[in-house]
Amino acid sequence: MEDELVMREVRAGDVGRLEELFDRHSPALFRYFMYLTSNRSVSEDLVQEVFFRILKYRHTYQPESSFRAWMYQVGRNVYMDHIGRNKGEVALPEEASQVRSNETPADREFQRKQEAVLLRRALAAMPDEKREVLIMSRFQDLKYDEIAAVLKCEVGTVKVRVYRALRELADRFFALSGERAS
Amino acid sequence: MNCERVREQIPELLAGRLDKAARENLVEHLETCANCRTEVAELNAVWRALESIKVAEAEPGMKARFMEVLEAYKAGAGQVVEMPKPKARGGWFGGMHPAWQAGMAAALLIGGVFVGREAARPPGNTPGPEVAQLKGEIESLRQLVALSMLQQQSPSARLRGVSYSEAIAQPDEQVEQALLYAVNHDSNVNVRLSAVDALQKFAGSPAVVTAMVQAIPVQDSPLVQIALIDMLVQINAKTEAPALVKLSMDGQVDDVVRQRAVWAVEKLTGQKQEKSK
Repeated sequence: MEDELVMREVRAGDVGRLEELFDRHSPALFRYFMYLTSNRSVSEDLVQEVFFRILKYRHTYQPESSFRAWMYQVGRNVYMDHIGRNKGEVALPEEASQVRSNETPADREFQRKQEAVLLRRALAAMPDEKREVLIMSRFQDLKYDEIAAVLKCEVGTVKVRVYRALRELADRFFALSGERAS
Repeated sequence: MNCERVREQIPELLAGRLDKAARENLVEHLETCANCRTEVAELNAVWRALESIKVAEAEPGMKARFMEVLEAYKAGAGQVVEMPKPKARGGWFGGMHPAWQAGMAAALLIGGVFVGREAARPPGNTPGPEVAQLKGEIESLRQLVALSMLQQQSPSARLRGVSYSEAIAQPDEQVEQALLYAVNHDSNVNVRLSAVDALQKFAGSPAVVTAMVQAIPVQDSPLVQIALIDMLVQINAKTEAPALVKLSMDGQVDDVVRQRAVWAVEKLTGQKQEKSK
């Protein structure tokens, strides 16, 4: 059954059906928060909070709208509240310590890992509004019209925002790695 | 096709979401524009490299936690439905239910109105009074879940109930009573220890401080007794120093606990105490 139909039943009072939506979407939502926070326990708490709010505010779900977009809207607000409470805390890329210094730079695996570390740093340093749109587009596989519904803006605006975010990420990444693509 | 329009389409091109006609137009432009070719090359390098960023997957415990909340919620919601005919319930918790039922009913009625506005709030906007009220409603539901989880059979669920109570910004008297009950009566030492920590939020209440002092001699676990003593030092409960002096002289109490009480009295009063025998 489609998400929207299941959510309609949840909205109508069959709250047990929310388990189905949790099974379908919590893994992706967890990854979304992992990309944003780089912290497993925080990400798990944020997922719990999203479904907690969905449960509590199920009456506000508009039956004709995309469940996934609505869930990310709630997720975005949960994340905003989280960063509001934790101002000043900087998320550190989790895998930074995994690069071993005894590997030679010629090692391709080492280069790949180093590249991933630099990208994580570049991503973590981006402003939240750019990072989130890039994560939604690149990792969450959300279509532009879904992102537009989450951000409550036009599809054209999403297009421009994703491009600008990717451009900024590239600039930050090349600055960190000291090179440019040819 | 100008360069700006072309560049805005690059992420869709890289994601393979551009339709055929748009892709052909873009390729045609690239054949004649070296700057845009460089742009595509750079962004493509980053777009592909993003594949190397892997994040951890969620653990199965996440589902279990959610199910506990869902079950607790279902139990609470059921009671709201049955409000006209409240069931007689025994035990310490019986008298509390009508209060949560009322809170829950109010939360369900009022809460829905505000979430739409909250969801629509652009980042950076100052939250209005509706948002404050919304947060209040979420708090009340969180309290309900914490209270319900503290009653579960499984110690791990009760532990999570304690953790849940710690997430409540302004816990109310029911949560305070539930935590005190856990300190005094829970069969699991870990739950009792966590409940002691969670009670720190209530340090401003003289009744809670007194209840903590009274709990020390009746505990069968020295660990919990020491945790309670440490908490009294942490909250600087100077007025409880005489009770701790008495405890340090009580021959029925474990030696280690008595020594901790001596230490606590010294910390609270700043005066050296003679070691109890």
